[in-house]
Amino acid sequence: MASVCYGGETKTSTPVEPSSKSARKRRMEIHQFNFVPADVAVMSPESGRKSQKREASSLDANSREAEAEEFQKKCLNVLESDSEGSKSDPEVKSAGPKFGLTSVCGQRRDMEDAVAIHPSFSGGSHFYGVYDGHGCSHVAMKCKERMHEIVKHEVENRTNEEEWLETMTKSFSKMDEEVTEWSRNSGQLSPNCRCELQTPQCDAVGSTAVVALVTEDKIIVSNCGDSRAVICRGGVVTPLSNDHKPDRPDELKRIEDSGGRVIYWDGARVLGVLAMSRAIGDNYLKPYVISEPEVTVIDRTPEDECLVLASDGLWDVVSNETACGVARMCLSAKKPKSPPRTPGNEISVSAACESSDKACSDASILLTKLALARHTADNVSVVVVDLRKDL
Amino acid sequence: MPTNQSVSNFEDFYEKWTAQQKLHLDALVAASETPQSSQNPSYVCALVKSVVDHYEEYYRMKSHWAKQDVILMLSPTWTTPLEQAFCWIGGWRPTMAIHLLYSKSGLQLQERIVDVALGLATGDLADLNSSQIDQVDKLQRKTTMEEREISEKMAKQQGNVADSDMVELTHELDDDEEKVESILRRKEEGLEKVLERADDLRLRTLKGVINILTPSQSLHFLVAAAELHLRLHNWGKERETKERDLSAA
Repeated sequence: MASVCYGGETKTSTPVEPSSKSARKRRMEIHQFNFVPADVAVMSPESGRKSQKREASSLDANSREAEAEEFQKKCLNVLESDSEGSKSDPEVKSAGPKFGLTSVCGQRRDMEDAVAIHPSFSGGSHFYGVYDGHGCSHVAMKCKERMHEIVKHEVENRTNEEEWLETMTKSFSKMDEEVTEWSRNSGQLSPNCRCELQTPQCDAVGSTAVVALVTEDKIIVSNCGDSRAVICRGGVVTPLSNDHKPDRPDELKRIEDSGGRVIYWDGARVLGVLAMSRAIGDNYLKPYVISEPEVTVIDRTPEDECLVLASDGLWDVVSNETACGVARMCLSAKKPKSPPRTPGNEISVSAACESSDKACSDASILLTKLALARHTADNVSVVVVDLRKDL
Repeated sequence: MPTNQSVSNFEDFYEKWTAQQKLHLDALVAASETPQSSQNPSYVCALVKSVVDHYEEYYRMKSHWAKQDVILMLSPTWTTPLEQAFCWIGGWRPTMAIHLLYSKSGLQLQERIVDVALGLATGDLADLNSSQIDQVDKLQRKTTMEEREISEKMAKQQGNVADSDMVELTHELDDDEEKVESILRRKEEGLEKVLERADDLRLRTLKGVINILTPSQSLHFLVAAAELHLRLHNWGKERETKERDLSAA
């Protein structure tokens, strides 16, 4: 299934399919391009680490870099010619910020991504979560089902002095405990869970989790694994999470200090198995793989444009800058009255929505299509949240 | 134009069918290169329909010949080793149709990404909208599942080559022709059922994609499908010729 939704309407179905054998994901090298046009500053804490990798990158990556550069130029031209005038219509202001969500299986044979969006889930806060499962989909599905409830409970019981880091760490830890507990009682596994055939391996299942809480004045991003959240603010792209890869120097040290090893087997992997250093679940890799999130808290500003959350199916093939460039373009595009878009299939999901609500969804779909176009090997889940406030 | 059933074997039919596919390809390319504004919608619809009908006819004939000789249909001598290397139960893998759609759509999207972001109609596969992406994703999951089921059934048939009947039969010093015939016949019946399901899934997946696409998008998809089929066939033949020349020298 692809879930596509606008505003508060969400349409989802269970993305679980049986499979004969679970295969470990091959994590593709993330390629980022650092083309920095005059008016787009790029702040990427990862750029140093990436540049080491790039020395080994292939011709293919070079051509993609050129392509990306070309593309970035195109985007900028468009953005420059298209002035800032397109503020959204205050009349369609809903309970939460507008958002778009697309989640597809892509070229993979199993769907292991899950996405949860809960506008106004606690007071005036809104919840956005992307979970990318590995081994099977049941941990990601469990996160989709439960994470926001756990977070809600923690948020509503936090004292004024409590740091967000503490609140979110407690939440992730509870989520992890639930998953572990649940997979122990594996008799309750959902019937369409493909790992039910290999119950002893039920421990070898996990999921990334990137969760963004958007409050009236703050954005809190908590991350565990290699899904990612980035914000676009006044044309500047800033990652709000830092991928947990086993070869990230601080993560490598943490793993080795706890007695674990990182083995290069089709990329850096914890014990040669898992290509990320933190995750929900994966009980068999504890204590090397932990469920503790890194938390970023930022104040919302009037320059905030959009927030993009996605699984690595997007980030493997689309850089932060390109993703934000595309999202901005969709959000600021004035939809021409003519020529109309292809007639015929523009039905169901879109029919009930105001056209201005569609921009976010257009952005999430276009990013998904771009990832598919660049032959991502993975499932692709993209959430785009419009942060522009109606003033 | 319709290839009639009077051909003496499937290979002859395949030759004629492929010749017709080449003609269709020319028409599809011409129509897909016409700007959408000057396309004649009813012509486009009719063209898409006749191409889909042509595929339908292929599978009707295949089913007819499978009843005569399923073994031959599972090891198609009219295709090249190159094509056979990518074969799944006597034909293309059904999920390949979705991969084809994603690839073609991806190529067209990268060309027109700015237009698409601005909401301009491109009229080709770059234009897939949210509802279409949703339907393609559903189709893919359903197809993957059915493909797996059929693969399982094929595995069962292939395992049956060593069932006790066969082992007993092969142990006997002299062939009891009647017995051999009857046991092999049963195996063929099993294979025939699997092939029928595989072909049914192939045709349904193809039609499923066409049903999701608008007629003008379908043109682009059908061009890609025909090109892939015809070019792969040609490359396979070229390889065969080269190998033959090499071994002759």
